[in-house]
Amino acid sequence: MPAKELNKPCMECKDAEFELTVRKRQLCSLCFKRFIAHKVQSRLSVYRAFGLDGPKTQLLLPVSLGVSSSVLLHILNTDRQHRLDNGRPVGYDFKILVIEPSTVAATGIPFDQNYEALQKNFPMHTISRIPFHSIFDYAPEMVGIMKEYAGSKFIDDSTRSNEERLAAFRASISTPTSRTDVDTVLLTRLIVEFAKKSGCESIIWGDSDSRLAAKALAGVAKGRGSSLTWQVSDGMSPWGVRFEYPLRDLYKAELLQYESVCAELSDVVIPDQPPSENVLTKNLSIDELMLRYVQNQGAKYPGVMANVARTANKLNPSASDGAPTCALCASLLGNVKGNSGVTVANQAEDNHSSQFCYGCMRSRPDELC
Amino acid sequence: MAPTACFNCKEARAVIIRPKNRHKLCRACFIKIFETEVHETIIGTNLFFPGERVAIGASGGKDSTVLAAVLKTLNERYDYGLDLCLLSIDEGIRGYRDDSLETVKRNAVQYDMPLDILGYSELYGWTMDQVVEQVGKKGNCTYCGVFRRQALDRGAARLGIRHVVTGHNADDVAETVMMNLLRGDLPRLSRGTSIVTGSDASDIKRSKPLKYAYEKEIVLYAHHRQLDYFTTECIYSPEAFRGSARTLIKDLEKIRPSSILDIVKSGEDMAALVPVEAQTIKHCERCNYISSQRICKACTLLDGLNRNRPKTAIEVGVGMEDEESSSTLMRQMERAQLSAT
Ligand SMILES: [Zn+2]
Ligand SMILES: [Zn+2]
Ligand SMILES: [Zn+2]
Ligand SMILES: [Zn+2]
Repeated sequence: MPAKELNKPCMECKDAEFELTVRKRQLCSLCFKRFIAHKVQSRLSVYRAFGLDGPKTQLLLPVSLGVSSSVLLHILNTDRQHRLDNGRPVGYDFKILVIEPSTVAATGIPFDQNYEALQKNFPMHTISRIPFHSIFDYAPEMVGIMKEYAGSKFIDDSTRSNEERLAAFRASISTPTSRTDVDTVLLTRLIVEFAKKSGCESIIWGDSDSRLAAKALAGVAKGRGSSLTWQVSDGMSPWGVRFEYPLRDLYKAELLQYESVCAELSDVVIPDQPPSENVLTKNLSIDELMLRYVQNQGAKYPGVMANVARTANKLNPSASDGAPTCALCASLLGNVKGNSGVTVANQAEDNHSSQFCYGCMRSRPDELC
Repeated sequence: MAPTACFNCKEARAVIIRPKNRHKLCRACFIKIFETEVHETIIGTNLFFPGERVAIGASGGKDSTVLAAVLKTLNERYDYGLDLCLLSIDEGIRGYRDDSLETVKRNAVQYDMPLDILGYSELYGWTMDQVVEQVGKKGNCTYCGVFRRQALDRGAARLGIRHVVTGHNADDVAETVMMNLLRGDLPRLSRGTSIVTGSDASDIKRSKPLKYAYEKEIVLYAHHRQLDYFTTECIYSPEAFRGSARTLIKDLEKIRPSSILDIVKSGEDMAALVPVEAQTIKHCERCNYISSQRICKACTLLDGLNRNRPKTAIEVGVGMEDEESSSTLMRQMERAQLSAT
């Protein structure tokens, strides 16, 4: 018998007013959070294989201070706290990495206060903060690779600061699509190198289902279909660090709901920039176009967008052990084993004997895009 | 603006900007390059063998007309030794099919190829006009496409020919890749991009020699060779979701012209990554045609028609489409409508 008189009780506990509707169920904020957290924890259950005294896996959680990765952090932190309080095995430890947003986005979003809130609200974790251009410290070979990649028009001035050198390289890439593509490649590389240096076996990415769908579609559209097996699927990356996407069963809208009932996150999260209205399609990047497509079509055909990431997650990782990989993004060079298509041979003369993969060649500065 | 010299021969005046890579080319070089790329596709994939009898699925539209013209040219230029013929399907749509069949008949004379025309009424007992009468105009492309696909195979089998080539282009293949990903259809993802499909019970090989050719370049080729083709193809609108995928591909092409080929490349790679369990090919219990379901789509649709239950028959969802649906026809239709207004 519920003790309280409730207007519209939560369908789960029947002991509180309902606050949020999720997947047609009306829940109180506590039950809602539990529901969301469960979807995430079941994805990470492999890391709990060991008992209380067993070895702990080291995970790296990159936090962009956006909604999704911040919510993921909150869920992992809550779960960990709960387990410690109850003397149950946690199974893993995680480190937090923030790539300074001001060094990534051109708009130079201030984030210091958000970062401070992060440190204050999650004090029991190791939090590191590094700028984008520290890629030259973590992966010194990138200097040469970038020079090779950008071609003759790009002149690297080694007397300049790392920040200036990275900016010059990024500026040499001409289209929004290629710039976003190469930025993602470089950020991934930086995070992987950081993970390796700090002894992390896996990276836990905060991509929602919607985000993964957009990533998969954009990857396909950019000729990067063979890399979906680690860029969208849970699996081993080419660098020997596992990639996990535990938010893959949650929509972006649900993560926004979670954030809205989480006081600890209100000062941490930098809200998404609203999509700019008056942009000509041809001036969008492919990644942006796909995000918009997933948003619009996801509203009309909700199940369909969930298909995309799920389908990508069913693909077998390429069995091309020892096959040459791209110097920049570590994707396979040429075709996946068993693909007899002639796109590579026929269409991209410049692809021969290249150290860069099909996708990276498309984003190269001298490509006509 | 001063005239630009051709990127290829550096002599003649460029009159074409290639949609695929924006190279500026003269007419002769464009035609030569277009043909050479199709030739490279044919050689690179070992598509034909000398002496092979090949039926070109001819609708009178630009894709199949260009395919016939290019194959005839290449067959002579490179001595493929192919025995080419045209195979047309008469869906039985009064008013529009008559004209396109006339086009195909002229093509047969122009290319000096034998022509066979096979009717839906002979194959299925229904003309498209009768189907429309029964189910209304919505959802028609499904019937038309599903019936057409089988019709070509059956027609070829009747002629004792084991290889049918169709005019599916890179835009069609790219759209199919996106659709299969969106529908989560792994079996089709594993087959949809391969240049040769089929080899089912009826032993008919199906292939698409234009799978790397851009739709826009096919139009340019037809224009600059002044080919005789029929402009308006299908008169029914496509299902809404496929429409959204098509718009997406058009948008991608605007952003990065190479996208269409890039999607084809991704599709080919992903096809090789589909787990073996998901690749199994099944056959229709009733007609033995290749099918992912127990009963193939044509038989299912026919069942609906024959049971005289129009409403259930048109409730075809996202998953119930022809796997190689060529929406080029519809794209062309949209353009025709636009230019008419
Ligand atoms: Zn509750
Ligand atoms: Zn690469
Ligand atoms: Zn020329
Ligand atoms: Zn059947």
